[in-house]
Amino acid sequence: MMTFLKKIRRLHPTTLFASLWLGALTFLAIFAPVLPFVRGYGERVKGAGRFKFGPGADFLFGSDALGRDMFARCVYGAQISLRVAASSIIVGLLIGGSLGLAAGYLRGWIDRVVSILVDILLAFPALIISILIVGRFDVLQANNEAFGWLTRTWSITFVLSLLSIAPIARIVRAQTLSLSQREFVLAARSLGAKNGRVIFREILPNLIPAMTSVVFTGIAILLVSEGGLAFLGYSIKPPSPSWGLLVSENRERLQEAWWATIFPCIMLFVTVLAFNIIGDRVARRFDIREAAL
Amino acid sequence: MRYLLQRIGQFIIVFVVVTFVVMCATRIGSKDVVRDLAGGTVGDEVIAKVEADYPYLDKPLVIQYGYWLKDMVTGNMGYSYAQSQSVIDMFQQRLPSTFFIGFWSIFLGLLIAVPLGIYSAYRRDGPVDRVASYSSFAFISTPPLVFAVFLLYFVALKIDTFPVLSNYIAPWDSPVEHFKNFFLPSLTLGLGLAAVWTRFLRADMILTLQSDFIMLARAKGMSPRRILYRHALRSSILSLITSVALQLSGLVGGAVIAEQFFGLAGIGTRLVFAVQQNDILVIQAITAVLVVVVVFVNLVVDLLYAVVDPRIRHARALG
Amino acid sequence: MTTQAENRVETGTLIEVRALKTHFQTPRGVVRAVDGVDLTIERGKSLGIVGESGSGKTILSRSIMGLLPRYGTIREGSVSFQGQELIDRSPKEMRGIWGREMAMIFQDPMTSLNPLMKIGKQISEPLMAHLGMDRSSAWETAEKLLRDVRIPEAGRRLSQYPHEMSGGMRQRVMIAIALACGPTMLFADEPTTALDVTVQAQILQLINEQRRERNMSLILVTHDLGVVAGNTDEIAVMYGGKIVEKAPTRTLFAHMKMPYTEALLQSIPKMDQPSHSRLAVIPGRPPDLVNPPAGCRFAPRCAYARERCQVEEPQLVAAESPQHVYACFYPVGSPEYLERKVELSRRTDTNQGGR
Repeated sequence: MMTFLKKIRRLHPTTLFASLWLGALTFLAIFAPVLPFVRGYGERVKGAGRFKFGPGADFLFGSDALGRDMFARCVYGAQISLRVAASSIIVGLLIGGSLGLAAGYLRGWIDRVVSILVDILLAFPALIISILIVGRFDVLQANNEAFGWLTRTWSITFVLSLLSIAPIARIVRAQTLSLSQREFVLAARSLGAKNGRVIFREILPNLIPAMTSVVFTGIAILLVSEGGLAFLGYSIKPPSPSWGLLVSENRERLQEAWWATIFPCIMLFVTVLAFNIIGDRVARRFDIREAAL
Repeated sequence: MRYLLQRIGQFIIVFVVVTFVVMCATRIGSKDVVRDLAGGTVGDEVIAKVEADYPYLDKPLVIQYGYWLKDMVTGNMGYSYAQSQSVIDMFQQRLPSTFFIGFWSIFLGLLIAVPLGIYSAYRRDGPVDRVASYSSFAFISTPPLVFAVFLLYFVALKIDTFPVLSNYIAPWDSPVEHFKNFFLPSLTLGLGLAAVWTRFLRADMILTLQSDFIMLARAKGMSPRRILYRHALRSSILSLITSVALQLSGLVGGAVIAEQFFGLAGIGTRLVFAVQQNDILVIQAITAVLVVVVVFVNLVVDLLYAVVDPRIRHARALG
Repeated sequence: MTTQAENRVETGTLIEVRALKTHFQTPRGVVRAVDGVDLTIERGKSLGIVGESGSGKTILSRSIMGLLPRYGTIREGSVSFQGQELIDRSPKEMRGIWGREMAMIFQDPMTSLNPLMKIGKQISEPLMAHLGMDRSSAWETAEKLLRDVRIPEAGRRLSQYPHEMSGGMRQRVMIAIALACGPTMLFADEPTTALDVTVQAQILQLINEQRRERNMSLILVTHDLGVVAGNTDEIAVMYGGKIVEKAPTRTLFAHMKMPYTEALLQSIPKMDQPSHSRLAVIPGRPPDLVNPPAGCRFAPRCAYARERCQVEEPQLVAAESPQHVYACFYPVGSPEYLERKVELSRRTDTNQGGR
């Protein structure tokens, strides 16, 4: 326990802050339904409509046009945004990571194919593809019985995962390439270890620092993307309170009811910042170079 | 010369793949392509007209793509039945807004980043450097959306000069109005860009400043300003330009949000609308133009390399 | 404050260095690169500073000129140039002197010239900045300078870039840049190390020619005794941040006192040595400049060291003539030295062929 506290004290204050914020946010997001001070995100409180309440004791972040608690909406917004971003990055990691690993380790034609694929994926204008696919999937879901399950949640996760694949593949490939040249890999192979074994026991463990950094920074980027998409109306449908949606909902009333827009903005900003800080610290701690990019 | 051909070849492949995929995407889940093209719920005459203009809509996708490509190459970008406007007219009307947002964002970004990056490298770990470093990290983490909100709140609403909703006013019509309308949207994107480029330039300059030729310039008694801007910057400018090109695709997304937020009638807002309506030709045309622009900028950057660095110029001339 | 140009003397002392120390703050500790150096340079004379890498010779020349990194540098002592003290001058004040009164030639002309700037521009820069010339006269003067340094087709070369020239030509360009504003003091930091042997001689000859014509003083820093042999009036040998021997060139070679100097001379491979003779190297490594050893800094590696050398640091004392100083308790030729020499030759008889 004592050594743990000592380690905490040695942390850079920003890292500490970032971790605390993310910890608190995650806690709130997970336990929101059972927390007494968090109302339901759709719950309309009588007399609180038309932005009656500014930030105060009862409504921490004020109330919105329909009398809903902004704080609750922000908390549930965290739940939604984090869930989507985290799942997307994991899918991206699985697919992009495997591609990068294969390309970097096996090289040869596999590397060339993967590299061309990655380059093409990166050439797609991200936003256009995102809204296009989400839009089309909407139509698909509406028109086609078989796709009834294709809610916005699935669409968004699909799109964000797709967009993560290429950058992740690139980073993993670069890391794998440099790791493959290192002595311990050569040593393992000279001892007759088969490829699979080398990959799992030598390369993968050493990829973990880079992967951790990528995950954190990636979530930050995806949160930004999701926020932008929600603002344009292409994320989870209302009344689900994605942060971007909250901003777009209440933007008109910025002058009088600033709390309804500013607080979701702050939430988005601080959360993205926190993820970026941690991602950056991990990268620096393990000296991961972004030379690949 | 062979180099140029190689690049053009790459461009063609990328262009074809991207536009083809986009075309296929527009067909997903669509029950009736003809109806979509015609703009949704319209009368039979319109449907008939569309079918006459585009008789190949029931053919395989690849064939359809071929026709589209032919049209594009011959300058026929298509017609938006939903908006009763030819695509080319649409571009003429809306491109300037988007262009100026992009242009001014890059301009502002560089305006801030170049002096700041250079000074941060020169007076490393000094007060300016520290402040710039922390703020740039924060700014990089800020989504354009958040910038937009804060700028709107603290500037537009508090100070009357800047309009809450911007309109397009050509710079040659009224420079002042143009500036007032485009300042906030461009700043929204420009600050994020400035943050990226400041960090980048600072890192590059620090390396350059350790070079021997900088030491010689110092030994010649040259002033710091001269050394920084005439000697060191010349060396670092290449990577900066590369970074500008890299940021371009991200800028597209940002521009869409800025347009939507500040109410500018540009390509971005039109695109969002087009996706809603599945205005196929508009979607495809905008995508095509975007790909071309991005690739073109990359090509320009590549050529600029030869302009700035005589060693590359000579190496390329040789073969 | 009078400008340095107004203070120019035709003869007499140009630079006087007293007790110069240059220390650097590093994470490891304070590196005492130059630890107490005295020098005097007359107008028109040349001094060679010789030493291994790590002896502090490059730092010494930079320190005299004042060209040190801004942060983490501590300079003590006195450097007076034409009667004016330079130590406490700010970089801004020094900029009037750099390039104008004092100039430096660096080791590697490929990396020292700006690869992205035309040669003509690089020469014109100081002309325009210090002498207030306009572009066309500066360009003309640059062409004349290129001819002075014996570069053929000077006019064409002005518009070329460094990578279009050979190593020797680049070094000539650097010399041209240094000479541009007519300085009275020239520092040459290993000017020939990066060059072919054949070109080395030409460059040294060029430097000396220009020096005589312009009545410039020269400090030539090198690790190669052969370079200074024919090209300097005086030689100072540096070790561990201090000067361990200084003498007029001829005197040094004829009557060297410091065993280190002798060892340096002997480590130069000679043409007339039988093939496959062993190279005489000085064993060991240069001293740690953060924690220099007590006593003589060369003692750990000196074949002639005795107890006194390990505890007491020898001061510079005069030899037969007052211009020849050295710091050693048992110099070459002293009884202790000869005694040790006999011992050594007995031991190594079988190993050394033809010494």
